[in-house]
This record gives sequence, C-alpha cells and structure tokens, in this order.
Amino acid sequence: MEDETSHENVTQGHNKGSPDSPCAKTGGTGNNKEQDRFLPIANVGRIMKKVIPSNGKISKDSKETVQECVSEFISFVTGEASDKCQREKRKTINGDDIIWAITTLGFEEYVGPLKLYLSKYREIEGEKLNIPKQQRSEQKQQHQLQQQSKHEQNIPNFNSSVYSSTSLLSRHSSFVPSDQPFSLPFSPNNIQKQLQQQQDQIDSVGYW
Amino acid sequence: MRQAGTYSGILSGGISGKTGPHLLPLARIKKIMKKSGEDVKMISGESPIVFSKACELFIKELTQRSWMVTMQGKRRTLNKEDVASAVMATDLFDFLVNLVSESGEATTPLEMDTSNYS
Repeated sequence: MEDETSHENVTQGHNKGSPDSPCAKTGGTGNNKEQDRFLPIANVGRIMKKVIPSNGKISKDSKETVQECVSEFISFVTGEASDKCQREKRKTINGDDIIWAITTLGFEEYVGPLKLYLSKYREIEGEKLNIPKQQRSEQKQQHQLQQQSKHEQNIPNFNSSVYSSTSLLSRHSSFVPSDQPFSLPFSPNNIQKQLQQQQDQIDSVGYW
Repeated sequence: MRQAGTYSGILSGGISGKTGPHLLPLARIKKIMKKSGEDVKMISGESPIVFSKACELFIKELTQRSWMVTMQGKRRTLNKEDVASAVMATDLFDFLVNLVSESGEATTPLEMDTSNYS
C-alpha cells in the first residue's frame, strides 16, 4: 500500500504518514517503510508516459523496476556528492555538488537543464529573502519593461508570477542581492533600502 | 518545516509552465538521499530540487531506451524485460545491472558503495 496518492505536484507536506489510499502496489511487501525507499509509482509512471507514444502502454512491473532504478540513481549520485563534500571538508551537500556528481558519473547531458533549473530556483530564493509580498507586486510593474529588454535568455519570466522582477538584482549574486553594487538603469538604491527594511518574511527552505 | 506555498510558483507550474512543476516529492527524495550513506548528514534545500529534475531526466531517458526495445519486439506494452535490456545495453546504466538482473527475486540489499562504480 502506498503512503501517497498520485498528485501532480505532491510536495513534501503531503507524504507524511499513511493516508488510506487504496492503491495496490507490490503484491508482496506493502508496508510504508518499504515504499519510503522509492519515489511514488504514480509519479514515476506519469513521467514515463510522457516519452512514449500515446497508444503505448506501460506494465506495472516495469514501473516498479524504474522506481527502483531511480532510487539507485539517487543513492549513486548522492554517494559521489557526499564523498566530494568529505574531501573538501564540507558538511552540507548542495546543488552544485549534485550537478558535479552527475557530470562525473557520466550524465553530462543532464547538466545543462539542471543548471538552468537550479539558477531559476536560486533566483526565486534570493527574491524571497529580500522582498516582502507587497513590495513585489509594486515593483513588478516598474521593472517589467527593463526586464524584457535586459534579458535575451530563454529563462521563463518569473515576473508573471508572484515574484517580482528584482531577479535582476539577485542574478548578480547567489542569495543576498543587497550586498552587491549594481549598474542597472533604474536606481537600485531605493529598492535596496526598501528591501532591507522589511526582511521579516524569510520563509526559505534553508538547510534541511 | 517548509510551507508549500513558498514554492507554489515552481511546484504548481506557475512560472509560465516552462520549467514544469516538481513531479516528484522532495521529502521522499531527501529520505532516499539520506539512506545512501552514513556520511550524508546535511543536505541543502536545493539538493532535492536538483534531484527532482535529474530524476525526471533519468526516468525519461531510461523509458525512452526501454521503449526502443519494446518497439523492436513489435509490442506496445513496455515491460520489465525491456527495461532490463535497455540497462544492459547502456554503459551509463552499468550501476543498475545488478538491480535489473534480480528480476523475480526478493529485493536484496543493494551495494550502496559507489566506489565500486567508477
């Protein structure tokens, strides 16, 4: 029995405990501890479906096999990343370590999309640390014009969402844009002052 | 713990859907990471995020290769043997060879010692 029903965007908050989902997974071991070793089969199956023709079918045992393979992949890469951190006397595995390990183990093709993904994530993180929600919506309209002229990259425009376009600021640094000097057309000083005054909404993930 | 709303932009595909939502549960990924070794203690918040994407790419690649085997057999249902064949045929998936050759047996403890894989 799975401890998680299938949802499109299941987050960490949803797979605690074991809800009464009537999903039948492996016929043998059905306890939750066993399933904690794998990613949910529904999610795995959904991703698999994306790359086969629409009239193709996927057997349940192949989904289970891929499930196991993914867990092994995670362990494999994590092990390498962990070794690297140990060698460099760091305690925390970060995203760059993962990407490094993935490259080292032969999955170089993944690196491009992953770096893009990670940089977007860090952008949002940097914004969240410095910009309260009210400020975001106000600044959003101001900066949208500069944003579009400034960026020729095909990174999705976060301005269309809750987060404001001060990604311009955070782009120059990892997480703390307020420390960076800026050479942007608009006046960053005003923004920085506003940012620093209201840093009370820091709800980032931080370290797990 | 984290609030789901914090990442609703990413998770629900609110970022114009181009990055796509996180298809895989981050806490589960983190659990699996921690189980990979005694040395794994601290994991940054972004690691499961990176893995979420990496696993998606991995699943897609593995499935594509498996599907090619399915098609060679003129079938329309991807089964476990197709996955095993794809693993055997791909050097990149050498670390999975033991896993797929255990078909039909109970899941035995796998070697987590990655030093053997290099």
